[in-house]
Amino acid sequence: MREITYAEAVREALRQAMEADDRVFLIGEDVGVYGGAFGVSAGLVDQFGTERIIDTPISEAGIAGAITGAAMTGMRPVGEIQFMDFVTLSMEQLVLQAAKIRYMFGGKATVPFVLRMPGGAGTGAAAQHSESLESWFVHVPGLKVVAPSTPYDAKGLLLAAIQDDNPVIFVEHKLLYKQKGPVPEEMYTIPLGQSNVVRQGQHLTVVATSVMVSRALEAGKQLAEEGIELEVIDPRTLKPMDCGPIVESVKKTGRLLVVHEAVRTGGFGGEIVASVAESEAFDYLEAPIRRLAARDIPVPYNKKLEAAMIPQIEDIVAEARRLVKGEY
Amino acid sequence: MSDLNNRLSPAAGTDAALREIKPEILERMLEQMMTIRAFEEKAEELYALGKVHGTMHLSIGQEATAVGASNALRETDYLLNHHRGHGHLIAWGSDVNKMMAEFLGKETGYCRGRGGSMHIADVSKNNLGANGIVAGGLPLAVGVGLSIKMRKTDQVVMVIFGDGATNEGAFHESLNMASIWDLPVVYLLENNQYAMSMSVKRAFKIERLSDRACAYGIPGVTVDGNDPIAVYQAVSEAAERARRREGPTLVESVTYRWRGHSKSDRQAYRTREEVKEWMARDPIPTFGARLGKSEEEMARLRAEAVKRIEEAVAFAEASPEPDVSTIEDGVYA
Amino acid sequence: MAKPQIMPKFGFTQETAEIVRWLKGEGDQVDQGDPIAEVTTDKVNMEVEATASGILAGLRYKEGDIVPVTEVIAYILEPGESLPGNGQEAARPAAEAPAPPAEAAPQPAEAPAREEHVRVTPVAEQYAREKGVDLSKVTGTGPGGRVTRADIDRYLETAEPEVPGKVRATPAARRIAREQGVDLVEVRGSGPLGRVQGWDVQEFAARPQPAAVQPEPVPQPAAAPAPAPVPAGEEQVIPLNNVRRLIADRLQRSFQEAPHVYFDADVDTTRLEALRKRANEKLAEGQPGISLTVLLVKAVAWALIRHPLINSRLEEDGIHLLPEINVGVAVAAESGLIVPVLRQANLKPVTQLAAEMKDLVDRARANRLRPDDVSGGTFTVSNLGMFGVDRFTAIINPPQTAILAVGRTRKMFVPDENDQPVLKPVMTVTLGADHRVVDGAVAARFLADVREALEHPEMMVI
Repeated sequence: MREITYAEAVREALRQAMEADDRVFLIGEDVGVYGGAFGVSAGLVDQFGTERIIDTPISEAGIAGAITGAAMTGMRPVGEIQFMDFVTLSMEQLVLQAAKIRYMFGGKATVPFVLRMPGGAGTGAAAQHSESLESWFVHVPGLKVVAPSTPYDAKGLLLAAIQDDNPVIFVEHKLLYKQKGPVPEEMYTIPLGQSNVVRQGQHLTVVATSVMVSRALEAGKQLAEEGIELEVIDPRTLKPMDCGPIVESVKKTGRLLVVHEAVRTGGFGGEIVASVAESEAFDYLEAPIRRLAARDIPVPYNKKLEAAMIPQIEDIVAEARRLVKGEY
Repeated sequence: MSDLNNRLSPAAGTDAALREIKPEILERMLEQMMTIRAFEEKAEELYALGKVHGTMHLSIGQEATAVGASNALRETDYLLNHHRGHGHLIAWGSDVNKMMAEFLGKETGYCRGRGGSMHIADVSKNNLGANGIVAGGLPLAVGVGLSIKMRKTDQVVMVIFGDGATNEGAFHESLNMASIWDLPVVYLLENNQYAMSMSVKRAFKIERLSDRACAYGIPGVTVDGNDPIAVYQAVSEAAERARRREGPTLVESVTYRWRGHSKSDRQAYRTREEVKEWMARDPIPTFGARLGKSEEEMARLRAEAVKRIEEAVAFAEASPEPDVSTIEDGVYA
Repeated sequence: MAKPQIMPKFGFTQETAEIVRWLKGEGDQVDQGDPIAEVTTDKVNMEVEATASGILAGLRYKEGDIVPVTEVIAYILEPGESLPGNGQEAARPAAEAPAPPAEAAPQPAEAPAREEHVRVTPVAEQYAREKGVDLSKVTGTGPGGRVTRADIDRYLETAEPEVPGKVRATPAARRIAREQGVDLVEVRGSGPLGRVQGWDVQEFAARPQPAAVQPEPVPQPAAAPAPAPVPAGEEQVIPLNNVRRLIADRLQRSFQEAPHVYFDADVDTTRLEALRKRANEKLAEGQPGISLTVLLVKAVAWALIRHPLINSRLEEDGIHLLPEINVGVAVAAESGLIVPVLRQANLKPVTQLAAEMKDLVDRARANRLRPDDVSGGTFTVSNLGMFGVDRFTAIINPPQTAILAVGRTRKMFVPDENDQPVLKPVMTVTLGADHRVVDGAVAARFLADVREALEHPEMMVI
């Protein structure tokens, strides 16, 4: 299969969705001729024109409101928030409007939009351009939250998100944009709410999200040489979360390590941990459940500090080894 | 109030304008004002009787703005309104039975008892809901306008918001985006003089709030919000401009909230005299007189309105509560 | 890098080992896996193997020293490399006392609180911080009484559970215990801090009967090594080695704590001898012969089934009746007296017991016993008949409740049914029992069953 980058996969999904459905359009800051801050929408305006690839003023609340209002009245908009950090300026529209409208109105309205946003650190963009805020949205009933970790997942999940009749927060990752992977040329969807067991092993279940999936896989490769086999699971959709495969896996391995980039306290990892602790897998645990997450600090600028804040491959290797060997 | 006339845009609500409106529309507007008043007074009564679980925001005194604005639009148009929204819905032609049922939290209400007074939404009639967040509907109007534009229909969307919302950041983002894209949006600023306790005099440096329109390069007019003809005329013009793809208009409708913000308001921020002065300008008898209604006719209309509302209460009270087993319905599509 | 060579830990409860002799000397070339020293633990001789190849250097202990496990005893250097710390540590200062022997093992609850500075190695200090251990509660066994990482491990292993009455166990272990009807208290945990893991319970449940958690037994008193003839006018001192010290301590404690009560019985072994003779005639090629001791073990096991109170252990909370019958047998070996244990003797055929016994004795004589071979006994048989002893009393092997001392079989005239003297083989057995646990009548009934089994061994098939 041909290989394309994560950014190209997102772009291809957008293009194919817009070709297939007139109701789909893209709206955000600098998504037109500029091609998006990370080049994701490059060239789309040439194909679809400024009517469907809409540059907005710097108005994040306006973008969120625009996709919500349009979605309520028959369109299937895709919004882009340039950096996930800026979604803080959209929160009222997303949390109090988009998420609640359907329920508040007795199930009589639908809000089918996708709001894409790149999160994550590792680019030296410091505290206001590096956040991983996905757990904020996971906490809001009415929203769905998707975080693809590969080009293949990015395309399939974006197409599924666009077809979904609910507001979907689509969390991309800046460091993944240039990562290549096999992606089919045709349109395909990956159902929202399906975890993916990306590596099988019997000693430790590692649930990782977004950029941490590839790090967990690399850790798995290194540990295999020591005879430690990780089972790596990517939830892909953080809400609704598909806990079944995680529970099954923990029943098999008896151990769970959750890895994410967002800061530890209040992070999505806690939700996975709680779900497993509440499940039948509890009775199969042979070790405490552990989380590896960013330290509870704003993202620092300095490269060394930035790396030290966020789980790296060697951190996963070390923590996994400790858990499996009972050295904690 | 004395300076109100200075703020009004010229030629709004004149008798000439009145003569241009179809008589059945005028009759309907008067009936709706009566119904709104009866609904709100009944709501107040039910609340006092302890039959209401939540809160409510009454629009007594503001009926003219609601009926003038809604009747200026078409059935296919969209409405986004706000938390003090009972009147807007009645004027929009929504069913008072379902409204009352929603107010009492019943399964037969517009929102199946999930929304309540603040969030009544008649989605089947393109009402996209009353909004509990001040200025919450303004960014939505951009999306609706964008959708209309992309779908190439001749619809317009009217978003009704208050003087308080006009000082939210969302007001700016919304008016700016709608104006740069010439979206078919009617911005109806229902200025009832108070954002809870904050009077417009304290919250604005400008006299005419519609002056803000010039910052977006769009027309802004201020009309007497207690005169349904003036409101009707201004909103009609704004809607026509929108249909012509000439972009949004900001219509300020100056009226007055007779009651407190909600039920727990001691109204320490204004004087009894001020309230009495505005009550003396009750829009309902004023409008009745302009239509040449006799005392008897007005009494009959009032009685009919009260009867409609009594029936609505009976309907609502006889309706079932939502079943708890359905509690998660409608979170996701 | 100079690789430290530590004193390995051979057994679960082992804390020290005595260096019997160095098999390699300072400056010798060693290959990884080469035995470099012979050491003795509580009762078993072991070899310490080189953990790397290179030059053995910096031997820090001399023969006869008692070394806490995990302590560095030497270094293995690469060619041209020198000892860490310029070799100053290579030889232990003579003034420094050797590490305390096992008897002074940490007793966390009783350890005197130290108000001031605690001597501790840097590694242990860091480790204590990680584990949240209060160093003042840990008894140091390192040089100069320093607290070592091993001391902290020991402290953590022996520390009282944080919540009294609670067992540290994983959720999986709890589920499996629930499903299998296993009491977690009975299961030894292999996880961190002795936590019971799921597999521990599975293993436990898979055994024919749940196993008892038992401290290691002590050997029976043995004759002191025959000292060289004492020259007239001189007093000779035999230094206490590890084994001797342990025996001394435990037996003294046993005799002080447990009020011993003794019961004799004369046993007619006519049928037993006949059985043994016949069985040995019928042995298959290569099968080990059946000794009187093995038959004694079998008879005792048979009687213990009927008297669970004898197969017990007295603890603070009461008398623990033990689910396994593991009979220890005192064996005279060259190095001294040791007590290998025949596990679940009640469940095994005599031929199997004989085979196991032979294996244990062979390995004991070759100093190749494993620590587990000598632990977990629930009752002890001590047979000194081969030394010509008629009868004797033995001290109970704590924490067991009883011990059977067996004298030689001798021919005696005994009256037959017509009161006519008949010559019979008679053996006197003496039951020593802890009177705190066992009343006289209970002991007497047990002893009667032992005699029944020995005089009428066919009863054991019933």
